[in-house]
Amino acid sequence: MRNPYEVLGLKEGASIEEVKKAYRELVKKYHPDRYRDNPLSDLAEEKLREINEAYDYIIKNVGNGQQRQSYQRKQSTNTSGFTGSYQYDSQMVYRIKMLIQNGNFTQAQQLLDSIQVRDSSWYYLQGLLFLRRGWYDRANVLLRRAVEMEPNNPEYRDALNRVNSQYYGYRHNPYYYGSGYRQSPDMCSICTTLWCADSLCECCGGDLIGCC
Amino acid sequence: MFGYITPDKPELKIKEFEIFRGYYCGVCRAIAKQAGHRGRFVLSYDSAFLALLLDSLNSAPVSGKPGRCLIHPLKKRFMVDYGDVLEFSSDINILLAYYNLKDKWQDEKKFFSPLGLLALRRGYKRVKKKYPVLVGDIEKGLSTLHELERSRCGQMDEASEPFAGIMQKVFEYPAEPDSVKKILGWIGYNLGKWIYLLDAYDDIEDNIKRGAYNPLVIQFRYGENENVESFRERIKKEVEFILVYSLSEMEKAFSLLDAKKNKGILENIIYRGLLEKTRQVLEMGAGCDEKPL
Repeated sequence: MRNPYEVLGLKEGASIEEVKKAYRELVKKYHPDRYRDNPLSDLAEEKLREINEAYDYIIKNVGNGQQRQSYQRKQSTNTSGFTGSYQYDSQMVYRIKMLIQNGNFTQAQQLLDSIQVRDSSWYYLQGLLFLRRGWYDRANVLLRRAVEMEPNNPEYRDALNRVNSQYYGYRHNPYYYGSGYRQSPDMCSICTTLWCADSLCECCGGDLIGCC
Repeated sequence: MFGYITPDKPELKIKEFEIFRGYYCGVCRAIAKQAGHRGRFVLSYDSAFLALLLDSLNSAPVSGKPGRCLIHPLKKRFMVDYGDVLEFSSDINILLAYYNLKDKWQDEKKFFSPLGLLALRRGYKRVKKKYPVLVGDIEKGLSTLHELERSRCGQMDEASEPFAGIMQKVFEYPAEPDSVKKILGWIGYNLGKWIYLLDAYDDIEDNIKRGAYNPLVIQFRYGENENVESFRERIKKEVEFILVYSLSEMEKAFSLLDAKKNKGILENIIYRGLLEKTRQVLEMGAGCDEKPL
């Protein structure tokens, strides 16, 4: 086993508080929901398992046997992705989902092509397939279409929400502050703005800056 | 390679900047070694990034020393030592630059292309011999790309697929074991997609003027009477979605990579530099004039 502190990205001897904080962040980072539509989901699962083990080890041996509360093993039922939670699928839909999940794209595409009636579930599955393959533009269009056709289906809405939150999550990630300082006003424009404001005040009889 | 992959410089530590430049210089020297000094003009940031990324998997500290070079003879600069990683990155740089020049010559008859091709010829032949399988894959990808161009493919996803596939093959080539191969491949795939589409967006005006192929112009039905500026504005949101989504997928893959060094610089590029470049190109068409560091 690797050094559990190293796994959590900490120095040996970090306090329990630090361990908990690092653990929470890592769980968020490698959460199975975040990797649901990603071809590397199995690797993320493995990573999370390693993190859980490291955390358990530290808590058991350093923090007097406290149990981890925040993230119990419930993810093991969750990680199987979209299969478990929605049981009303027809056999065809189920088969295609499994194929997509296992990365068998050609066969999934063949089955999808063979379906004549293109209802919302077809758009949904084709969207998922494109998402996994890396065809994000079409995936987005198709998933939106599926939700439009059946707005009350939680599964479709979930998928679309995942796409949107991934997009916004990265675009507004805490490390990137957008154009930030590049757009902030420089000294020159601050002075001109003040000068304008002062002139305007003077027009109305008041004064913003007394000396001019 | 297009030189879009750059760090967000103001946010780098000075030390990190010097290390990044050290890789850049290292690749440049490696190119000179393989293709002669005349080959150096093809140097690109993208291959410096490739070297930085691949080297981050080795746990040994960055090895290099200050030195002078032909182009900057006055000041000593930190340069990363020649090794497997630099060799591979510079070979890829030569290879892709060669194909790029060939393309430009065939499509646009750019005057300088034959000169460049001539300078690169020797290096290209050597590289081709070194990686026969990889070069075969790349050439197959390029011929698919040309076919899609000829048939005027009007779908962003489809049009960017061959180049993304090429980058996937390139990134996963030197990696071991399979799990790392998969991660690096997915980084390459999504970066390739991003590069191809960002370049397409960047070239809209030029391509419209010359009547050259551009997948975005076809997909979003550019009308003859339409103002180029308003066209760019009209399609911005949709293009931004696919660009940023590709980057977000790449970020996920990167999170799974066990980088042992260069982490600060890589994170700077992945969380800031690439987003900043996307913003620049979308907002003002920053171009990709590569200024040497």
